[in-house]
Amino acid sequence: MTFDRRLRRARSGAVGIALATLAGCAPTPPPKPVEAPLNRIYVANESSNTVTVIDGTSFNVVGTIDAKNYSTHDLSLTRDGRLLFATNLASGRVSVIDTVSLETIASIFTGGRCHVVTLTNDNTQAWVANIGEDNISIIDVANLRILGTIPTGKGPTGLTFSRDGAYAYVSNQGDRSVSVIDTSTHRSIKSIPVGPNPHFLVVGPEGRIWGSNTGSDNVYVIDPGSQSIVGTLKVGPAPQQIAFGYKGLAGPNAYITVGGLNKVLVAGGDPANMRVLEEIPVGERPNGIWANPQGTRVFVVHEGSNDLYVVDTGTAQVIAKVNVGRKPIRVVVSR
Amino acid sequence: MRRPLSAALVVVTASTILSVARADRVSSQGVELGAARNAIGTLLIVHPDGIQDRLIGKGLVRLFEEDVVKTDAGSQALIEVGDGVMVALNQNTALKLLSRWEKTKGATRIIRLQEGEVWVKTGSGPKAVEVETPVATAIVKDSELNLKVHPDGQSVLTVVQGSVDFGTAFGICPMRANTVSYGVRGKRCTQAEPTDAKPVLAWSRPLLQ
Repeated sequence: MTFDRRLRRARSGAVGIALATLAGCAPTPPPKPVEAPLNRIYVANESSNTVTVIDGTSFNVVGTIDAKNYSTHDLSLTRDGRLLFATNLASGRVSVIDTVSLETIASIFTGGRCHVVTLTNDNTQAWVANIGEDNISIIDVANLRILGTIPTGKGPTGLTFSRDGAYAYVSNQGDRSVSVIDTSTHRSIKSIPVGPNPHFLVVGPEGRIWGSNTGSDNVYVIDPGSQSIVGTLKVGPAPQQIAFGYKGLAGPNAYITVGGLNKVLVAGGDPANMRVLEEIPVGERPNGIWANPQGTRVFVVHEGSNDLYVVDTGTAQVIAKVNVGRKPIRVVVSR
Repeated sequence: MRRPLSAALVVVTASTILSVARADRVSSQGVELGAARNAIGTLLIVHPDGIQDRLIGKGLVRLFEEDVVKTDAGSQALIEVGDGVMVALNQNTALKLLSRWEKTKGATRIIRLQEGEVWVKTGSGPKAVEVETPVATAIVKDSELNLKVHPDGQSVLTVVQGSVDFGTAFGICPMRANTVSYGVRGKRCTQAEPTDAKPVLAWSRPLLQ
């Protein structure tokens, strides 16, 4: 059941109880909605075409989901944890996964080489960047229909929304740029040059947009107020993804997977004073990274060693290792 | 490529049954979605692997998931997309044949209009067909419509018979027969306005003879 459908059901249930109470009848309790599982870790395995599901407390694998497509790459989870959207590069399709039944319940063609998927802040739409078609497809989360497309630069690879949802940021491999899209008009209002092979984008502390130039050795920070770069940091070859966490009192800090170093680098979150604070050795070719909601753990997946590390941010130590599928690219965690 | 029409009907029927049987998993490039039936001039079919096929005049060319069909200047064509759905392509038109799979609903046929103009007529089958443009989507069931896409993506939908739900990312506009609505990037579709639909269809009539 989708977010909208559940909302409608909840509303109708409340009205029914009120009417029954007014009529003096004992109300029949509405069916209890199935809650999404909490504290789950999901890993997209590109060469296995699967999603590994891990319990966030025991770090045991609780299931492996067939994406029913090819080259499962990126993941985006609804805020309620009920639906998981997964891009499949080779299929050009998005798989929609029910996290309760742990199965793929829909497959939607968006466009050639669909790379990343990001839910809008209100979770009503899923935006999908199609590298092969230089555009974004918009999926209606309620009925899984395509609502339209938005042209981007060449080879869109990364996608995130500003905190207020007014802008979408799209990194373009072919143009070495980030497009700023006004979400009220679906038009690009600015193109920001960033560097070679820009890839991952994420919204960070104070609403700034962090991105990695995977074809180079640095990360950059965009201020959504000025729509310009306000900081860069050299981190090493092939920086991949970024998450934010705390080391005791310090933070939020940026945790950056650097594929060419087999390390996670920790950087201060202030773009005016960007420097590497800590280096954490991890597995072979780290790529995806995600922090728990408290920012005390980061989860790192390695496309070379096919596993996930759990890193305690307070001690910078790896406290657990979990085998996943082949070539894990992305990890997301439920709230 | 031309084949006898009687043989074409057998192939289309058999392949439609086959595609329905296979659609309960996930669509793929091997799933047959319909057939090209008639072309004034040339209809170009481009398969996902880049291999091309052509229909000139009446005949049959089988169409598969993710095929792109195109007409150039001076050409028009008629294709059938399963369940009795007829689609006419005006000149300078390109569309992609797709489907969406859902566990609870099976496969939904999708016509992704990339450029140009189409006429679509659907039967009274149990399932709607979705016609996508760069900025809008029409949900079509037991209806007849004409849809034109301008180079900037603006989409003009004219409903001839039945009713259609036409929507952009900013809202849905229910439409009835003899109405027109416009879909523009970044805006809600315009409220359906009365129109005379017949002149809009004139270009497609020769294909149906």
